[in-house]
Amino acid sequence: MAQKKQIFTPVSEKEVTRAIVDGFARQFIEYVESDCLIVGGGPSGLMVGRDVARKGIKTLIVERNNYIGGGFWIGGYLMNKVTVREPGQEILEELGIPFEKATKGLYVADGPHACSKLIAAACDAGVKFANMTIFDDVVLREGGRVCGAVVNWTPVHALPREITCVDPIALETKFVVDSTGHDACVVKKLEERGILKTAGFGAMWVEQSEDLVVEHTGEAHPGLIVTGMAVATTYGLPRMGPTFGAMLLSGRKGAQVVLEKMKKV
Amino acid sequence: MFIVLTKLASLTRPLLKDKSVLVIPTSVDLYQEGDLGSLNLKGLGQYLGEKTSIPFSLCGDIFEGLIEEKIDRVADQFSRTKVIDPRRRWIPREPLQGEIDYERRRIKNPGWRVFGNLYEGVFYQRIISDLVLGNRLDLRHCTLLFTNQLFGTWDRVDQRYHARVSLYGFPHLISISGLVEAPAKPKEFYLKKQRGIPLERLKEEYQGRFLDYGDQRMTEALKGYVMQALFLHLTGSPFCEDRDCRLFNSHWQEEVIRSQLNGKYEFCPKHEAILERLRSNSGRYDRQG
Repeated sequence: MAQKKQIFTPVSEKEVTRAIVDGFARQFIEYVESDCLIVGGGPSGLMVGRDVARKGIKTLIVERNNYIGGGFWIGGYLMNKVTVREPGQEILEELGIPFEKATKGLYVADGPHACSKLIAAACDAGVKFANMTIFDDVVLREGGRVCGAVVNWTPVHALPREITCVDPIALETKFVVDSTGHDACVVKKLEERGILKTAGFGAMWVEQSEDLVVEHTGEAHPGLIVTGMAVATTYGLPRMGPTFGAMLLSGRKGAQVVLEKMKKV
Repeated sequence: MFIVLTKLASLTRPLLKDKSVLVIPTSVDLYQEGDLGSLNLKGLGQYLGEKTSIPFSLCGDIFEGLIEEKIDRVADQFSRTKVIDPRRRWIPREPLQGEIDYERRRIKNPGWRVFGNLYEGVFYQRIISDLVLGNRLDLRHCTLLFTNQLFGTWDRVDQRYHARVSLYGFPHLISISGLVEAPAKPKEFYLKKQRGIPLERLKEEYQGRFLDYGDQRMTEALKGYVMQALFLHLTGSPFCEDRDCRLFNSHWQEEVIRSQLNGKYEFCPKHEAILERLRSNSGRYDRQG
Protein backbone atom coordinates (compact mmCIF):
# COMPACT_ATOMS: atom_id res chain seq x y z
CA MET A 1 0.00 0.00 0.00
CA ALA A 2 1.49 3.36 -1.06
CA GLN A 3 2.28 5.76 1.78
CA LYS A 4 0.09 8.89 1.71
CA LYS A 5 2.14 12.02 1.02
CA GLN A 6 2.08 14.60 3.85
CA ILE A 7 0.65 17.99 2.99
CA PHE A 8 2.87 20.02 5.33
CA THR A 9 6.62 19.85 5.82
CA PRO A 10 7.45 18.14 9.09
CA VAL A 11 8.69 20.67 11.71
CA SER A 12 9.36 19.97 15.34
CA GLU A 13 7.68 21.80 18.22
CA LYS A 14 10.96 23.40 19.25
CA GLU A 15 11.41 24.88 15.79
CA VAL A 16 7.96 26.41 15.96
CA THR A 17 8.77 27.92 19.35
CA ARG A 18 12.13 29.25 18.15
CA ALA A 19 10.46 30.84 15.11
CA ILE A 20 7.92 32.64 17.29
CA VAL A 21 10.45 33.84 19.84
CA ASP A 22 12.98 34.85 17.23
CA GLY A 23 10.46 36.68 15.07
CA PHE A 24 8.97 38.51 18.01
CA ALA A 25 12.34 39.35 19.57
CA ARG A 26 13.86 40.70 16.37
CA GLN A 27 10.91 42.96 15.76
CA PHE A 28 10.62 44.01 19.37
CA ILE A 29 14.31 44.88 19.65
CA GLU A 30 14.03 46.93 16.47
CA TYR A 31 10.90 48.76 17.65
CA VAL A 32 12.05 49.49 21.20
CA GLU A 33 12.93 52.74 19.51
CA SER A 34 10.57 54.05 16.86
CA ASP A 35 9.76 57.34 15.15
CA CYS A 36 6.07 57.20 15.95
CA LEU A 37 4.48 55.21 18.75
CA ILE A 38 0.71 55.04 18.54
CA VAL A 39 -1.20 53.97 21.63
CA GLY A 40 -4.50 52.43 20.59
CA GLY A 41 -5.22 50.42 17.45
CA GLY A 42 -8.71 51.72 16.70
CA PRO A 43 -9.67 53.47 13.46
CA SER A 44 -7.94 56.77 14.19
CA GLY A 45 -4.74 55.09 15.40
CA LEU A 46 -4.69 52.79 12.38
CA MET A 47 -5.23 55.75 10.08
CA VAL A 48 -2.34 57.69 11.64
CA GLY A 49 -0.16 54.60 11.38
CA ARG A 50 -1.06 53.91 7.79
CA ASP A 51 -0.44 57.48 6.65
CA VAL A 52 2.87 58.02 8.47
CA ALA A 53 4.27 54.57 7.68
CA ARG A 54 3.59 55.17 3.98
CA LYS A 55 6.06 58.04 4.25
CA GLY A 56 8.75 55.72 5.61
CA ILE A 57 8.24 56.59 9.28
CA LYS A 58 9.09 53.72 11.63
CA THR A 59 5.76 53.15 13.35
CA LEU A 60 4.57 50.90 16.15
CA ILE A 61 0.99 50.57 17.36
CA VAL A 62 0.45 49.39 20.92
CA GLU A 63 -2.94 47.78 21.45
CA ARG A 64 -4.22 46.42 24.76
CA ASN A 65 -6.54 43.89 23.16
CA ASN A 66 -5.64 40.82 21.18
CA TYR A 67 -7.60 42.17 18.25
CA ILE A 68 -6.79 45.38 16.37
CA GLY A 69 -9.51 47.73 15.12
CA GLY A 70 -11.21 48.94 18.30
CA GLY A 71 -14.87 49.76 17.76
CA PHE A 72 -14.56 49.80 13.98
CA TRP A 73 -15.77 46.20 13.68
CA ILE A 74 -19.27 47.14 14.72
CA GLY A 75 -21.52 50.20 14.59
CA GLY A 76 -24.13 51.21 17.13
CA TYR A 77 -25.98 48.68 19.29
CA LEU A 78 -23.67 45.77 18.33
CA MET A 79 -24.83 45.94 14.71
CA ASN A 80 -21.92 45.32 12.37
CA LYS A 81 -22.58 48.18 9.96
CA VAL A 82 -20.42 51.26 10.26
CA THR A 83 -21.49 54.69 9.09
CA VAL A 84 -19.45 57.63 7.89
CA ARG A 85 -20.63 61.08 7.01
CA GLU A 86 -19.38 62.93 3.98
CA PRO A 87 -16.46 63.41 3.26
CA GLY A 88 -15.40 60.32 5.27
CA GLN A 89 -16.43 58.07 2.38
CA GLU A 90 -13.47 59.39 0.39
CA ILE A 91 -11.16 57.48 2.73
CA LEU A 92 -13.31 54.34 2.40
CA GLU A 93 -12.92 54.70 -1.33
CA GLU A 94 -9.18 55.23 -1.06
CA LEU A 95 -8.82 52.07 1.04
CA GLY A 96 -10.98 50.04 -1.32
CA ILE A 97 -13.75 49.52 1.23
CA PRO A 98 -17.15 48.90 -0.39
CA PHE A 99 -19.91 51.18 0.88
CA GLU A 100 -23.35 52.39 -0.08
CA LYS A 101 -25.24 55.60 0.35
CA ALA A 102 -27.75 55.44 3.20
CA THR A 103 -29.15 58.90 2.77
CA LYS A 104 -27.87 62.33 1.75
CA GLY A 105 -24.37 62.76 3.19
CA LEU A 106 -24.38 59.41 5.05
CA TYR A 107 -22.68 56.21 3.91
CA VAL A 108 -22.73 52.72 5.33
CA ALA A 109 -20.17 49.90 5.08
CA ASP A 110 -19.77 46.39 6.51
CA GLY A 111 -17.82 46.70 9.76
CA PRO A 112 -15.69 43.55 9.27
CA HIS A 113 -14.83 44.52 5.71
CA ALA A 114 -14.01 48.12 6.58
CA CYS A 115 -11.99 47.24 9.65
CA SER A 116 -9.98 44.44 8.07
CA LYS A 117 -9.18 46.60 5.04
CA LEU A 118 -7.96 49.41 7.30
CA ILE A 119 -5.80 47.01 9.32
CA ALA A 120 -4.41 45.53 6.12
CA ALA A 121 -3.67 49.01 4.77
CA ALA A 122 -1.73 49.84 7.94
CA CYS A 123 0.19 46.55 7.74
CA ASP A 124 0.91 47.05 4.04
CA ALA A 125 2.25 50.51 4.79
CA GLY A 126 4.74 48.97 7.22
CA VAL A 127 3.15 49.51 10.63
CA LYS A 128 4.16 46.98 13.28
CA PHE A 129 1.93 46.00 16.19
CA ALA A 130 2.37 45.11 19.83
CA ASN A 131 -1.03 43.75 20.73
CA MET A 132 -2.02 42.48 24.18
CA THR A 133 0.22 45.31 25.35
CA ILE A 134 -1.16 47.90 27.69
CA PHE A 135 -0.01 51.48 28.10
CA ASP A 136 1.19 52.09 31.64
CA ASP A 137 2.94 55.45 31.74
CA VAL A 138 4.72 58.09 29.68
CA VAL A 139 8.45 58.61 29.28
CA LEU A 140 9.31 62.27 29.77
CA ARG A 141 12.49 64.15 28.91
CA GLU A 142 13.85 67.63 29.39
CA GLY A 143 11.16 70.28 29.40
CA GLY A 144 8.50 67.66 30.02
CA ARG A 145 8.51 66.48 26.39
CA VAL A 146 6.81 63.12 25.88
CA CYS A 147 9.28 60.77 24.22
CA GLY A 148 8.06 57.29 24.93
CA ALA A 149 5.67 54.97 26.66
CA VAL A 150 5.96 52.47 29.47
CA VAL A 151 4.05 49.29 28.63
CA ASN A 152 3.25 45.90 30.05
CA TRP A 153 1.44 42.75 29.02
CA THR A 154 -2.31 43.21 29.23
CA PRO A 155 -2.80 40.02 31.31
CA VAL A 156 -0.35 41.34 33.89
CA HIS A 157 -2.61 44.33 34.40
CA ALA A 158 -5.70 42.16 34.48
CA LEU A 159 -4.56 40.09 37.45
CA PRO A 160 -3.98 41.10 41.09
CA ARG A 161 -0.57 42.62 41.76
CA GLU A 162 0.32 39.89 44.29
CA ILE A 163 0.08 37.27 41.59
CA THR A 164 1.70 39.19 38.74
CA CYS A 165 4.39 41.41 40.14
CA VAL A 166 5.91 42.13 36.74
CA ASP A 167 7.60 45.42 36.08
CA PRO A 168 6.75 47.21 32.82
CA ILE A 169 9.27 48.18 30.18
CA ALA A 170 9.82 51.44 28.29
CA LEU A 171 9.67 52.15 24.56
CA GLU A 172 11.27 55.29 23.16
CA THR A 173 10.04 57.31 20.23
CA LYS A 174 10.04 60.75 18.66
CA PHE A 175 6.25 61.17 18.87
CA VAL A 176 3.58 59.42 20.90
CA VAL A 177 0.03 59.46 19.52
CA ASP A 178 -2.86 59.04 21.93
CA SER A 179 -5.55 57.19 19.99
CA THR A 180 -7.08 55.47 23.00
CA GLY A 181 -10.64 56.69 22.50
CA HIS A 182 -12.66 58.34 25.26
CA ASP A 183 -10.23 56.96 27.85
CA ALA A 184 -7.48 59.27 26.52
CA CYS A 185 -5.04 57.13 28.54
CA VAL A 186 -1.85 58.99 27.63
CA VAL A 187 -3.34 62.43 28.17
CA LYS A 188 -4.86 61.26 31.45
CA LYS A 189 -1.44 60.07 32.60
CA LEU A 190 -0.10 63.59 32.06
CA GLU A 191 -3.08 64.87 34.01
CA GLU A 192 -2.27 62.51 36.87
CA ARG A 193 1.20 64.02 36.96
CA GLY A 194 -0.25 67.54 37.02
CA ILE A 195 1.23 68.40 33.62
CA LEU A 196 -2.07 69.21 31.92
CA LYS A 197 -5.76 69.24 32.80
CA THR A 198 -8.31 67.67 30.50
CA ALA A 199 -11.77 69.09 30.16
CA GLY A 200 -13.71 65.80 29.94
CA PHE A 201 -16.34 65.26 27.29
CA GLY A 202 -19.73 66.90 27.08
CA ALA A 203 -23.14 65.69 25.97
CA MET A 204 -23.50 63.62 22.79
CA TRP A 205 -23.93 65.73 19.69
CA VAL A 206 -22.97 63.71 16.63
CA GLU A 207 -23.68 66.35 14.04
CA GLN A 208 -21.14 68.88 15.22
CA SER A 209 -18.70 66.87 17.33
CA GLU A 210 -17.13 65.28 14.28
CA ASP A 211 -16.02 68.63 12.88
CA LEU A 212 -14.71 69.72 16.26
CA VAL A 213 -12.74 66.51 16.76
CA VAL A 214 -10.97 66.94 13.44
CA GLU A 215 -10.34 70.64 14.10
CA HIS A 216 -8.84 70.00 17.55
CA THR A 217 -6.66 67.08 16.43
CA GLY A 218 -3.03 67.97 16.98
CA GLU A 219 -0.22 68.27 19.49
CA ALA A 220 -1.71 68.57 22.98
CA HIS A 221 1.67 68.60 24.70
CA PRO A 222 5.22 68.59 23.31
CA GLY A 223 5.76 65.16 21.79
CA LEU A 224 2.13 64.05 22.23
CA ILE A 225 -0.40 64.13 19.41
CA VAL A 226 -4.02 63.33 20.21
CA THR A 227 -6.45 61.83 17.68
CA GLY A 228 -9.95 60.40 17.51
CA MET A 229 -12.26 60.31 20.50
CA ALA A 230 -9.34 61.06 22.83
CA VAL A 231 -9.53 64.56 21.35
CA ALA A 232 -13.09 64.95 22.65
CA THR A 233 -12.03 63.96 26.17
CA THR A 234 -8.97 66.18 26.14
CA TYR A 235 -10.78 69.31 25.02
CA GLY A 236 -14.25 68.76 26.44
CA LEU A 237 -15.94 68.44 23.08
CA PRO A 238 -19.41 66.97 22.59
CA ARG A 239 -19.37 63.19 22.73
CA MET A 240 -19.52 61.28 19.44
CA GLY A 241 -22.10 58.75 18.37
CA PRO A 242 -21.64 55.61 16.28
CA THR A 243 -20.20 57.29 13.23
CA PHE A 244 -16.62 56.94 12.11
CA GLY A 245 -15.82 59.63 9.56
CA ALA A 246 -14.17 61.82 12.19
CA MET A 247 -12.01 58.92 13.39
CA LEU A 248 -10.60 58.45 9.92
CA LEU A 249 -10.18 62.16 9.18
CA SER A 250 -8.77 62.87 12.64
CA GLY A 251 -6.27 60.05 12.09
CA ARG A 252 -5.30 61.56 8.78
CA LYS A 253 -4.84 64.99 10.34
CA GLY A 254 -2.84 63.48 13.21
CA ALA A 255 -0.55 61.88 10.65
CA GLN A 256 -0.06 65.22 8.91
CA VAL A 257 0.88 66.79 12.24
CA VAL A 258 3.38 64.00 12.96
CA LEU A 259 4.95 64.33 9.51
CA GLU A 260 5.14 68.11 9.82
CA LYS A 261 6.72 67.96 13.28
CA MET A 262 9.06 65.17 12.23
CA LYS A 263 10.75 67.57 9.82
CA LYS A 264 11.77 69.75 12.74
CA VAL A 265 13.13 66.96 14.98
CA MET B 1 -31.81 94.53 30.75
CA PHE B 2 -31.38 96.36 34.05
CA ILE B 3 -28.70 98.61 32.56
CA VAL B 4 -30.91 99.43 29.60
CA LEU B 5 -33.84 100.55 31.74
CA THR B 6 -31.65 102.73 33.94
CA LYS B 7 -30.32 104.60 30.95
CA LEU B 8 -33.70 104.98 29.35
CA ALA B 9 -34.85 107.63 31.79
CA SER B 10 -32.40 110.26 30.59
CA LEU B 11 -32.11 109.38 26.94
CA THR B 12 -35.59 108.72 25.63
CA ARG B 13 -37.72 110.88 23.33
CA PRO B 14 -41.51 111.00 23.52
CA LEU B 15 -43.48 109.89 20.51
CA LEU B 16 -45.73 112.54 19.10
CA LYS B 17 -49.14 110.93 19.53
CA ASP B 18 -48.96 109.27 22.94
CA LYS B 19 -47.02 109.27 26.16
CA SER B 20 -44.85 106.23 25.43
CA VAL B 21 -41.17 106.85 24.90
CA LEU B 22 -38.72 105.29 22.50
CA VAL B 23 -34.94 105.18 22.40
CA ILE B 24 -34.31 105.59 18.69
CA PRO B 25 -30.81 104.77 17.51
CA THR B 26 -29.20 106.74 14.71
CA SER B 27 -28.16 103.50 13.05
CA VAL B 28 -28.32 99.76 13.35
CA ASP B 29 -24.83 98.24 13.07
CA LEU B 30 -24.69 94.68 11.75
CA TYR B 31 -21.54 92.63 12.45
CA GLN B 32 -20.88 89.05 11.51
CA GLU B 33 -18.82 86.19 12.86
CA GLY B 34 -18.01 83.00 10.97
CA ASP B 35 -19.78 81.40 8.02
CA LEU B 36 -23.40 82.54 7.97
CA GLY B 37 -24.37 80.28 5.09
CA SER B 38 -27.20 81.60 2.98
CA LEU B 39 -28.08 84.38 5.45
CA ASN B 40 -28.65 87.66 3.64
CA LEU B 41 -27.38 90.24 6.09
CA LYS B 42 -27.96 93.14 3.72
CA GLY B 43 -31.51 91.92 3.18
CA LEU B 44 -32.06 91.95 6.96
CA GLY B 45 -30.75 95.51 7.12
CA GLN B 46 -33.05 96.59 4.32
CA TYR B 47 -35.98 94.95 6.06
CA LEU B 48 -35.16 96.90 9.22
CA GLY B 49 -35.00 100.08 7.19
CA GLU B 50 -38.38 99.44 5.60
CA LYS B 51 -40.02 98.67 8.92
CA THR B 52 -38.49 101.43 11.01
CA SER B 53 -36.88 104.03 8.72
CA ILE B 54 -33.71 103.60 10.79
CA PRO B 55 -30.60 103.34 8.60
CA PHE B 56 -28.32 100.34 8.93
CA SER B 57 -24.65 99.73 8.25
CA LEU B 58 -22.90 96.50 7.43
CA CYS B 59 -19.80 96.48 9.64
CA GLY B 60 -18.26 93.24 8.38
CA ASP B 61 -16.35 90.62 10.34
CA ILE B 62 -16.19 91.40 14.05
CA PHE B 63 -12.56 90.21 14.14
CA GLU B 64 -11.41 92.24 11.17
CA GLY B 65 -8.29 94.30 11.76
CA LEU B 66 -7.41 92.84 15.15
CA ILE B 67 -3.70 93.01 15.93
CA GLU B 68 -1.88 89.80 16.89
CA GLU B 69 -1.69 90.74 20.55
CA LYS B 70 -5.42 91.28 20.72
CA ILE B 71 -6.10 88.04 18.82
CA ASP B 72 -4.07 86.18 21.44
CA ARG B 73 -6.03 87.78 24.24
CA VAL B 74 -9.44 87.19 22.65
CA ALA B 75 -8.57 83.57 21.77
CA ASP B 76 -7.61 82.98 25.37
CA GLN B 77 -10.86 84.56 26.58
CA PHE B 78 -13.04 82.51 24.21
CA SER B 79 -11.35 79.28 25.22
CA ARG B 80 -12.16 80.05 28.86
CA THR B 81 -15.79 80.73 27.99
CA LYS B 82 -16.57 77.20 26.80
CA VAL B 83 -19.25 75.30 28.72
CA ILE B 84 -18.09 71.69 29.06
CA ASP B 85 -20.99 70.20 30.95
CA PRO B 86 -24.36 71.91 30.37
CA ARG B 87 -25.62 70.48 33.67
CA ARG B 88 -23.02 72.37 35.66
CA ARG B 89 -22.71 76.08 36.03
CA TRP B 90 -19.71 77.46 34.20
CA ILE B 91 -16.68 78.26 36.30
CA PRO B 92 -13.39 79.71 35.07
CA ARG B 93 -10.99 77.02 33.90
CA GLU B 94 -7.42 77.11 32.69
CA PRO B 95 -7.64 76.26 28.95
CA LEU B 96 -5.29 73.90 27.13
CA GLN B 97 -3.03 75.34 24.48
CA GLY B 98 -4.95 73.32 21.85
CA GLU B 99 -8.17 75.10 22.83
CA ILE B 100 -6.54 78.53 22.53
CA ASP B 101 -4.99 77.56 19.18
CA TYR B 102 -8.44 76.49 17.94
CA GLU B 103 -9.91 79.87 18.87
CA ARG B 104 -6.98 81.65 17.23
CA ARG B 105 -7.64 79.80 13.98
CA ARG B 106 -11.33 80.65 14.28
CA ILE B 107 -10.62 84.35 14.76
CA LYS B 108 -8.03 84.54 11.99
CA ASN B 109 -10.14 82.80 9.37
CA PRO B 110 -13.13 84.87 8.25
CA GLY B 111 -16.00 82.60 7.29
CA TRP B 112 -14.92 79.90 9.78
CA ARG B 113 -17.32 77.01 9.37
CA VAL B 114 -16.76 74.76 12.37
CA PHE B 115 -18.93 75.16 15.44
CA GLY B 116 -20.40 72.96 18.14
CA ASN B 117 -18.79 74.27 21.31
CA LEU B 118 -21.33 75.77 23.67
CA TYR B 119 -20.13 79.09 25.04
CA GLU B 120 -21.30 80.91 28.16
CA GLY B 121 -23.49 83.52 26.50
CA VAL B 122 -23.09 86.40 28.93
CA PHE B 123 -19.31 86.11 28.94
CA TYR B 124 -19.29 85.66 25.17
CA GLN B 125 -21.26 88.89 24.88
CA ARG B 126 -18.75 90.62 27.12
CA ILE B 127 -15.85 89.55 24.89
CA ILE B 128 -17.69 90.71 21.76
CA SER B 129 -18.56 94.05 23.38
CA ASP B 130 -14.85 94.76 23.60
CA LEU B 131 -14.49 94.24 19.83
CA VAL B 132 -17.20 96.61 18.65
CA LEU B 133 -15.72 99.60 16.86
CA GLY B 134 -14.73 102.39 19.22
CA ASN B 135 -17.44 104.51 20.85
CA ARG B 136 -20.28 102.82 19.00
CA LEU B 137 -21.56 100.63 21.81
CA ASP B 138 -24.10 103.04 23.17
CA LEU B 139 -27.76 103.99 22.87
CA ARG B 140 -27.15 105.88 19.65
CA HIS B 141 -26.28 102.62 17.93
CA CYS B 142 -28.19 99.39 17.97
CA THR B 143 -25.39 96.85 17.55
CA LEU B 144 -26.06 93.29 16.43
CA LEU B 145 -23.66 90.41 15.90
CA PHE B 146 -24.74 87.46 13.75
CA THR B 147 -22.70 84.39 14.55
CA ASN B 148 -22.56 80.74 13.54
CA GLN B 149 -21.31 79.84 17.01
CA LEU B 150 -23.55 78.47 19.73
CA PHE B 151 -24.04 80.09 23.11
CA GLY B 152 -26.27 79.35 26.05
CA THR B 153 -27.38 80.79 29.33
CA TRP B 154 -27.84 79.16 32.72
CA ASP B 155 -31.41 78.43 33.72
CA ARG B 156 -31.82 78.76 37.46
CA VAL B 157 -35.07 76.79 37.44
CA ASP B 158 -33.91 73.54 35.88
CA GLN B 159 -30.25 74.11 36.79
CA ARG B 160 -28.73 73.65 33.36
CA TYR B 161 -27.55 75.56 30.34
CA HIS B 162 -29.91 76.10 27.44
CA ALA B 163 -28.71 77.01 23.96
CA ARG B 164 -30.18 80.32 22.79
CA VAL B 165 -30.98 81.92 19.47
CA SER B 166 -30.40 85.39 20.80
CA LEU B 167 -28.98 87.27 23.71
CA TYR B 168 -30.08 90.88 23.76
CA GLY B 169 -28.01 93.67 25.26
CA PHE B 170 -24.85 95.54 24.29
CA PRO B 171 -24.30 94.16 21.72
CA HIS B 172 -27.22 91.94 20.72
CA LEU B 173 -26.09 88.44 19.74
CA ILE B 174 -28.02 86.33 17.26
CA SER B 175 -26.88 82.77 16.55
CA ILE B 176 -27.85 80.95 13.37
CA SER B 177 -26.74 77.61 14.87
CA GLY B 178 -28.86 78.59 17.87
CA LEU B 179 -31.86 79.01 15.59
CA VAL B 180 -31.42 75.36 14.56
CA GLU B 181 -30.46 73.91 17.94
CA ALA B 182 -32.20 75.99 20.60
CA PRO B 183 -35.93 75.86 19.81
CA ALA B 184 -37.04 72.28 20.40
CA LYS B 185 -37.94 70.08 17.45
CA PRO B 186 -41.10 67.94 17.54
CA LYS B 187 -41.10 65.54 20.50
CA GLU B 188 -41.30 62.46 18.27
CA PHE B 189 -38.07 63.56 16.58
CA TYR B 190 -36.16 63.13 19.86
CA LEU B 191 -37.89 59.85 20.71
CA LYS B 192 -36.89 58.39 17.36
CA LYS B 193 -33.38 59.78 17.72
CA GLN B 194 -33.09 58.00 21.06
CA ARG B 195 -34.08 54.77 19.32
CA GLY B 196 -31.00 55.17 17.12
CA ILE B 197 -32.58 56.32 13.88
CA PRO B 198 -29.85 58.23 12.00
CA LEU B 199 -30.16 61.99 12.15
CA GLU B 200 -30.04 62.27 8.37
CA ARG B 201 -33.11 59.99 8.04
CA LEU B 202 -35.00 61.93 10.70
CA LYS B 203 -34.24 65.17 8.92
CA GLU B 204 -35.78 63.78 5.77
CA GLU B 205 -38.85 62.57 7.66
CA TYR B 206 -39.43 65.86 9.46
CA GLN B 207 -38.34 68.13 6.63
CA GLY B 208 -40.03 71.51 6.79
CA ARG B 209 -41.09 71.17 10.44
CA PHE B 210 -37.92 72.78 11.76
CA LEU B 211 -35.19 75.06 10.49
CA ASP B 212 -31.99 73.29 9.56
CA TYR B 213 -28.48 74.35 8.61
CA GLY B 214 -28.43 75.94 5.18
CA ASP B 215 -32.20 76.40 5.29
CA GLN B 216 -33.31 78.95 2.71
CA ARG B 217 -35.87 80.27 5.22
CA MET B 218 -33.16 81.39 7.65
CA THR B 219 -33.12 85.06 6.59
CA GLU B 220 -36.89 85.30 6.73
CA ALA B 221 -37.00 83.65 10.17
CA LEU B 222 -34.32 85.93 11.57
CA LYS B 223 -36.19 89.09 10.65
CA GLY B 224 -38.23 88.72 13.81
CA TYR B 225 -35.15 88.26 15.98
CA VAL B 226 -33.61 91.41 14.53
CA MET B 227 -36.83 93.24 15.35
CA GLN B 228 -36.81 91.81 18.89
CA ALA B 229 -33.33 93.25 19.38
CA LEU B 230 -34.47 96.60 18.04
CA PHE B 231 -37.60 96.62 20.19
CA LEU B 232 -35.49 96.02 23.27
CA HIS B 233 -33.49 99.08 22.24
CA LEU B 234 -36.61 101.11 21.47
CA THR B 235 -38.89 100.13 24.33
CA GLY B 236 -36.95 97.98 26.80
CA SER B 237 -39.19 95.02 25.95
CA PRO B 238 -38.23 92.67 23.09
CA PHE B 239 -41.08 90.16 23.23
CA CYS B 240 -44.78 89.86 22.53
CA GLU B 241 -47.20 87.26 23.84
CA ASP B 242 -49.04 87.00 20.53
CA ARG B 243 -47.97 83.74 18.83
CA ASP B 244 -48.50 85.26 15.39
CA CYS B 245 -46.30 88.27 16.05
CA ARG B 246 -42.64 88.16 15.00
CA LEU B 247 -41.75 89.32 18.50
CA PHE B 248 -43.09 86.11 20.07
CA ASN B 249 -40.47 84.39 22.22
CA SER B 250 -40.54 80.91 20.63
CA HIS B 251 -39.32 77.85 22.50
CA TRP B 252 -40.35 75.30 19.88
CA GLN B 253 -39.40 75.13 16.22
CA GLU B 254 -43.07 74.96 15.33
CA GLU B 255 -43.57 78.26 17.17
CA VAL B 256 -40.65 79.80 15.24
CA ILE B 257 -42.19 78.69 11.96
CA ARG B 258 -45.59 80.05 12.93
CA SER B 259 -44.46 83.41 14.30
CA GLN B 260 -41.77 84.09 11.70
CA LEU B 261 -43.05 82.39 8.56
CA ASN B 262 -46.71 81.46 8.78
CA GLY B 263 -48.23 84.02 11.15
CA LYS B 264 -51.56 85.73 10.51
CA TYR B 265 -49.59 88.94 10.27
CA GLU B 266 -46.01 90.09 10.73
CA PHE B 267 -46.65 92.13 13.84
CA CYS B 268 -49.58 92.23 16.18
CA PRO B 269 -51.69 95.42 16.04
CA LYS B 270 -49.94 96.88 19.10
CA HIS B 271 -46.41 96.49 17.72
CA GLU B 272 -47.46 97.34 14.18
CA ALA B 273 -48.79 100.63 15.53
CA ILE B 274 -45.43 101.42 17.12
CA LEU B 275 -43.67 100.68 13.82
CA GLU B 276 -46.16 102.77 11.92
CA ARG B 277 -45.55 105.71 14.26
CA LEU B 278 -41.80 105.27 13.86
CA ARG B 279 -42.14 105.39 10.08
CA SER B 280 -44.57 108.24 9.94
CA ASN B 281 -42.65 110.32 12.47
CA SER B 282 -39.21 109.68 11.04
CA GLY B 283 -37.38 112.97 10.77
CA ARG B 284 -39.92 114.78 13.00
CA TYR B 285 -38.07 114.20 16.25
CA ASP B 286 -34.45 113.99 17.30
CA ARG B 287 -32.71 110.68 17.14
CA GLN B 288 -30.15 109.76 19.73
CA GLY B 289 -26.97 111.55 18.89
